Amino acid sequence: MSENIQNKLLGFITRSFMVEREEIDLDKSMIDEGIIDSFGLIEIATFLENEFHIKITEEKMIRANFGSVHKIVSFVKREQTQ
Amino acid sequence: MSKETVRCTKCILSSAFPRIQFDEKGVCNFCRNEIYFTTENQSIANAREQITNLLNEHQGKGQYDAVMCYSGGKDSTYTLMLATRQYNLKVLALTVDNGFLSPVAFENINQTVDALGVDLITIRPSSKFFSPLIKASALHDIYNPKTLTRISSVCNSCISIINIAALKLALEKKIPFILAGFTLGQIPANSIFYKNNYTFFQESREPILNKLRNLVGNEVDDYFCISDDLIESTESYPYNINLLCLDDPSEDEILAEIKKLGWISPKDVDGCSSNCRLNAFNNFVHTQKMGFNPYELELSHLIRRDKLSREDALRKIAAQAEIMSLKPILEQLGISQQEIEQL
Ligand SMILES: [Zn+2]
Repeated sequence: MSENIQNKLLGFITRSFMVEREEIDLDKSMIDEGIIDSFGLIEIATFLENEFHIKITEEKMIRANFGSVHKIVSFVKREQTQ
Repeated sequence: MSKETVRCTKCILSSAFPRIQFDEKGVCNFCRNEIYFTTENQSIANAREQITNLLNEHQGKGQYDAVMCYSGGKDSTYTLMLATRQYNLKVLALTVDNGFLSPVAFENINQTVDALGVDLITIRPSSKFFSPLIKASALHDIYNPKTLTRISSVCNSCISIINIAALKLALEKKIPFILAGFTLGQIPANSIFYKNNYTFFQESREPILNKLRNLVGNEVDDYFCISDDLIESTESYPYNINLLCLDDPSEDEILAEIKKLGWISPKDVDGCSSNCRLNAFNNFVHTQKMGFNPYELELSHLIRRDKLSREDALRKIAAQAEIMSLKPILEQLGISQQEIEQL
């Protein structure tokens, strides 16, 4: 399941932010890497809400959940099982 | 930009735009990608439904329903009209005067708030702070390159100040919504409404703020940050909403409506602005530095949505200022012509 989440997320990121899959380090912050800016984070959060039917309140928009692709995928998994 | 600029044959993105690729017909990858973007209308529909629910839930609870970032430009004037007349919101308008607003913009602001019966607060940051900020934003690499694909560095500094001032006001007065006049193209369809986690937002901006502190001084914090006291006493953050994206009117439709309020078009601004005299300078610097006009992305989006013809878009960015005409602004900011030419 997490592979599926990751593929969908990467599909969204590569399409929306015009980056190649190879440029994304799955363990690094996409903001620090310059792939997205803070607006991009909001785009990603909205995408996750619509795609995975979860509710992301602002308390959940923290580095521990959004600090990398891997962190986002684990976050989505946790939210889905709740 | 020279006359030989190579542009996409459908939109106006130029060959200098980051990550652009043209196919054999000269159509760019942004236009080709757009074909698969059926999600945009879906996002708008989603946002409309959720915004309606949010407004129903929070409207009419306090003195004001919303703070509106009001620049006096055509888009924010139309949005203020939508907010008060169509959505019946009690709005507190907030204007940040950067010292370069066209005199006509002020007449438009006063005319509009009077016509709509809206309270207005104006903030004018000291030029002792603001001029060095503009200079630093224009001459140094401050922002994420991703940000600079859609907005010039100076505009972004200005908008950051406006956003923080609006957030401060909303938190102090416990106002549930912040409105701005962004259109689709300026912001992605996924960001029509959102709530921010301020702490994380600030944390991710820290490298940017550090550059600005070094160049401008620690006053940066007064304009780019919210005090810890206010953050600690905050239970709930406001929603940011861009009502204009739900309505999605064309420029002609906007102009026709706001003229009824008494709004008139300033003549001392460039083709891409309807209120700010700094815009021509910002575009000049951005084009000089990045090789493309900061409005290319937004105007191209409008072309793809059939809201603007390619010819009109080209006309808007063609009227590029000559460096000589920017002289008064350069003097006011304490920037030499040489500093600009060396970018
Ligand atoms: Zn194109």
